Amino acid sequence: MTAILTHTQAEKALIGALDGATGWRAHLREATQRDGLPTRRNEFWKWSDLRRAANDVSGVGRLDVTGLDGLTNVKDGDRIELAVAASAGASAADAALVVPAGASVTLVETLKGAAGSLGNWHMTIRLEAGARLDRVVITDHDADAVFVGSAEIELAETATLNQTMVDTGARLSRNETHVTHPGQGASITMGGAYVLAAGRHADTTNLVHHTGPGGVTQQLVKGAVASGGHGVFQGKFIVDRAAQQTDARMTHRALMLGERAEIDAKPELEIYADDVQCAHGNALGTLDETALFYMRQRGLPKARARALLIESYLAEPLDRVQDEALRERLKASLRARLGALI
Amino acid sequence: MLKINNLHNKVETQDGEEKAILKGLSLEVPAGEVHAIMGPNGSGKSTLSYVLTGRDGYEVTDGEMAFLGEELGELAPEERAALGLYLSFQYPVEIPGVPTITFLKEALNAQRATRGEEEVSAPEFMKLIREKAKQLNVSMDMLKRPVNVGFSGGEKKRMEILQALVLEPKFLILDETDSGLDIDALKIVSDGVNALRSPERGMLVITHYQRLLDHITPDVVHVMADGRIVKSGGPELAHELEAEGYDKFIGEAA
Ligand SMILES: Nc1ncnc2c1ncn2[C@@H]1O[C@H](COP(=O)(O)OP(=O)(O)OP(=O)(O)O)[C@@H](O)[C@H]1O
Ligand SMILES: [Mg+2]
Repeated sequence: MTAILTHTQAEKALIGALDGATGWRAHLREATQRDGLPTRRNEFWKWSDLRRAANDVSGVGRLDVTGLDGLTNVKDGDRIELAVAASAGASAADAALVVPAGASVTLVETLKGAAGSLGNWHMTIRLEAGARLDRVVITDHDADAVFVGSAEIELAETATLNQTMVDTGARLSRNETHVTHPGQGASITMGGAYVLAAGRHADTTNLVHHTGPGGVTQQLVKGAVASGGHGVFQGKFIVDRAAQQTDARMTHRALMLGERAEIDAKPELEIYADDVQCAHGNALGTLDETALFYMRQRGLPKARARALLIESYLAEPLDRVQDEALRERLKASLRARLGALI
Repeated sequence: MLKINNLHNKVETQDGEEKAILKGLSLEVPAGEVHAIMGPNGSGKSTLSYVLTGRDGYEVTDGEMAFLGEELGELAPEERAALGLYLSFQYPVEIPGVPTITFLKEALNAQRATRGEEEVSAPEFMKLIREKAKQLNVSMDMLKRPVNVGFSGGEKKRMEILQALVLEPKFLILDETDSGLDIDALKIVSDGVNALRSPERGMLVITHYQRLLDHITPDVVHVMADGRIVKSGGPELAHELEAEGYDKFIGEAA
């Protein structure tokens, strides 16, 4: 027996916004029609109750994307900047990128949800043989925004993906990445940092599916969460039987900056091959009080000492961004949010 | 300059119990003087240094401590630092990810800001730190590394004094700065400390060994036992301790 689903106003709005949609958006419409927005009863969303977070959302909104013309005629050396902005109300948009064989491309997505928004953004990305993509995702949401960004990425052999995300949260911000990794000289570095003030929620959910032999995957996500903030990390590596000699490492580390900071993490390995090197690590900690005292003894105000410690804690995944200006931009966006945590 | 009267403190142990460590400590260091504190392990020397500099968890339960006429009890550690109190840690702390040079510049400018003084510009600072690093035989490469991370015990102690030379505090507490130093380093560090001696500056030198006091001659030597000063005297007291041990003084404390 299936229960009859009564759609919430947000669900109705999203279904309405996707009237006549095709492709991924049609898919989203069907799923919402059939199941509603995901709730914590859905294992994949157990720490990010989207239906509840979107409770106040009503009406059809707009998802404006600038920079889309950069996605056509892509060639080596391109740098594509997409600015994705969701107005109040429900909205969804998607785009596709193919990085041609041998080309090296940088893609920067800035996601910005307004108060009362339920924004959905999806990228379908394919890297052809020997291609390289440096993908950077930065969120800059209102505290009362709800935003789900997702990407489906497929690598051909010898392709390289280097993905970095910086999430400062929202009422609910979720960044989901699904990657198909063929091994055979392809490699993936993915990671990022989240910084969450009170009332903000950020969810990093990644799935890397290793389908061929000899793949390398390095994932490092670090976070800092203030009292009243909620960080979620869900990482999953699947290693098929054919994906022998996969070398895949997943690490999540986060700082709890106050007693009511909440962090949920689920690193998972699902391995069907027998000759692989796979590992995952997850560690939660607090700021080093001894270091804080040392810094204050030298004259640094408490807030500055804390900010410096948090900043240096979060630096490692960001240091993997090769473009120096971009790296500094990411660090600056985090730095700007650190004040609110202290 | 530094006046401590009948100071008592307690700490909370890991099992949640309270433990009294300083039990009525009185001490006065006038400007221009160097006082040494010697005493057995666990007598409360490092605790005194933390209480003076305001470390969390080192609660004052009775008594007073004043520096340059200001009661320290209510001040945050950074305010005490800006007043000019400097602690060279017995165990200097590692701060991953923060280059020493960045840290020191921030610290200096933070202290200056608190005192209402102008910031030191980047070139001025570089000039200052180059000069002090040379004085202490510290390479610029080392200063680019994160604070104390991967430094040897002796290098850490040398860095503590380098920081003091840059920050130019009015009062130095040196907690076993000599431990871990080889003979040459002891000389270099002592020369650094002696360079800071001045009629306006006071020092409290905590040590177990006469050899440091051979280089940094104290005006007064205090013996500390069980949270109190049990005996004070001239430099000869340190020799006496070295020859005879603490036994006879600890008896007097009881
Ligand atoms: N946070 C704490 N919790 C429990 N005990 C403490 C704490 N801090 C200090 N103590 C205890 O207080 C006593 C004094 O310690 P302190 O480090 O001040 O001694 P010290 O004189 O510096 O010794 P040393 O010569 O070995 O450096 C010791 O018995 C120590 O174990
Ligand atoms: Mg000690």
